[in-house]
Amino acid sequence: MPIDAANPVPPSYPRRAGPDQIPPHVPKELIRTSGIPTGEAFLAGPHDFMARMHQDFPPIFYDVGDYGNAWQFIKHEDALFALRHWEHFSNEGATPFPRDPNDYFYFIPIEIDPPQHRKYRNIVDPLFSPKGVLKLEGLIRQRARDLLDDVADKGECEFTEAFGRPLPVSVFLDIMGLPQDMRDTFVEWAIDLLHGKDRESMGRAMQNIVAYIKQAIAEKKAHPDEGVVSRITHAAPDGMPLSDKEIFGFVIFLFIGGLDTVFATLNNIWLWLARNPDRVQEIIARPNDLDAIVEELLRRWSVTFSGRVVAQDIEMRGVQMKKGDRITCVLPACNFDPDVFPNPLEVDFDRPRRTILAFTVGVHSCMGSHLARLELKIALQEWLRRIPQFAVKQDAQIVYRPGGVVGPESVPLVW
Amino acid sequence: MPKVTYIEASGASHVIDVDVDENVMHGALYNNLPGILGECGGARSCATCRCTVDAAWAAKVGTPTTHEERESLEGAEGELKPNMRLSCQIDMTDDLDGLVVHLPESQF
Ligand code: HEM
Ligand code: FES
Repeated sequence: MPIDAANPVPPSYPRRAGPDQIPPHVPKELIRTSGIPTGEAFLAGPHDFMARMHQDFPPIFYDVGDYGNAWQFIKHEDALFALRHWEHFSNEGATPFPRDPNDYFYFIPIEIDPPQHRKYRNIVDPLFSPKGVLKLEGLIRQRARDLLDDVADKGECEFTEAFGRPLPVSVFLDIMGLPQDMRDTFVEWAIDLLHGKDRESMGRAMQNIVAYIKQAIAEKKAHPDEGVVSRITHAAPDGMPLSDKEIFGFVIFLFIGGLDTVFATLNNIWLWLARNPDRVQEIIARPNDLDAIVEELLRRWSVTFSGRVVAQDIEMRGVQMKKGDRITCVLPACNFDPDVFPNPLEVDFDRPRRTILAFTVGVHSCMGSHLARLELKIALQEWLRRIPQFAVKQDAQIVYRPGGVVGPESVPLVW
Repeated sequence: MPKVTYIEASGASHVIDVDVDENVMHGALYNNLPGILGECGGARSCATCRCTVDAAWAAKVGTPTTHEERESLEGAEGELKPNMRLSCQIDMTDDLDGLVVHLPESQF
């Protein structure tokens, strides 16, 4: 039965984790322990690891780990199929982020299947559309320039701190209609929530975010404006105002989905740029090809995964999957599928255009993708204009942190 | 507001008001029409918003405006028909009031 988003209940099917919880229909020969996204081999070089999966793993295998057991899809075509057939691969209950079972809410729109899903996207898609985000272009550029003014003359910086986090947080606050003086607090909360040192600091961050969001919603209820939070708060699809839980679940999901992904993407790309000065010069020399350049960088440096729950038994490549099984589309691996992207690790700005999976495909394709693309484009233009030559600081340790968003923890740069 | 007629492969047709400044893909999505998916939201990357512009309108609407659009159409599954466009790349104007587009049986 489809879920009722106004009356949320925690998912009822079991969560399986570890070798003791492998259902009997899983063939022994397809069981693996890949270590994604926490294992040592993975963290040693996540993207290389995911590119190697096409040699090291069967195209569909059953991954067993403490994070949860799930079928892994690494072929481009399999991911496209799964992500486009929501009647077999559902999003209901597929987001593992913990919530209070006594005060449960859904993450919107990610946990909602069609047909209700579109109702939520229609509320804010106009603000996040290619045209909608273009209205922010001047502002994003100004924010990027302000940040660069602070560091350009210093000759060095830790990229993440100086640019990679504050830029997307500023832009996020702009589009959401929240005040800029929250920037550094938001950065702190985002880091504690998604990469907290311990459960306590993560829990505390969550409490702060929840309290802030509830207060922001209350304020927008009283004083409507053009921002996303206000737009969601006052939405009434088909004349039915959203419930408080829907409003909250929508706004908080933007916080979870729209920050760390951008941080990680920028970190990955700036690390690569710093290590490839000749490619930096190539990008500078091709200003008219920047859209294609951004697209290829997003393919090469995808940062996250699409998890789904099998809603109806299905067979793919001779593998039986049963209702209640979980699947993960390893999006970066799919972007390295040599059948679709020959010589996949090579950054090639002239590749024939194929559907990339950085933002997934299907109805849940990233709502923020146009904003993210624009931020990336402006970040490249402005950074390379001010700092066209830079390198990774000598002896810098590049460390990847475990978790569902893949990128180096910090990127110390010198110029 | 200018009107667009969307004709599904089955022959079912829908007349929709589409704002100037919106595009033909959003016109379908915002009104819950079947037949156009528009997965990528207009990034010219998914090709799930394909439509065939009715012959009477083809000259006015024109051919693909960018090589990204052309490449996406060529890479898409299914037959590439004459007058086929990504509907996310057709911006509504008052000139296009009355536009008729035909939708493929399936977008993938
Ligand atoms: C480079 C940066 C980003 C990347 C790589 C990224 C990636 C993704 C991916 C892979 C999904 C699909 C998840 C799934 O299938 O389970 C997704 C969904 C989503 N993203 Fe992003 N994202 C980025 C930036 C943003 C931003 C800036 C926002 C908003 C401010 C955002 C909001 C969302 C939302 C709301 C969804 C759910 C869409 C739906 O369920 O219909 N994302 N994103
Ligand atoms: S909506 Fe994806 S190409 Fe038009």
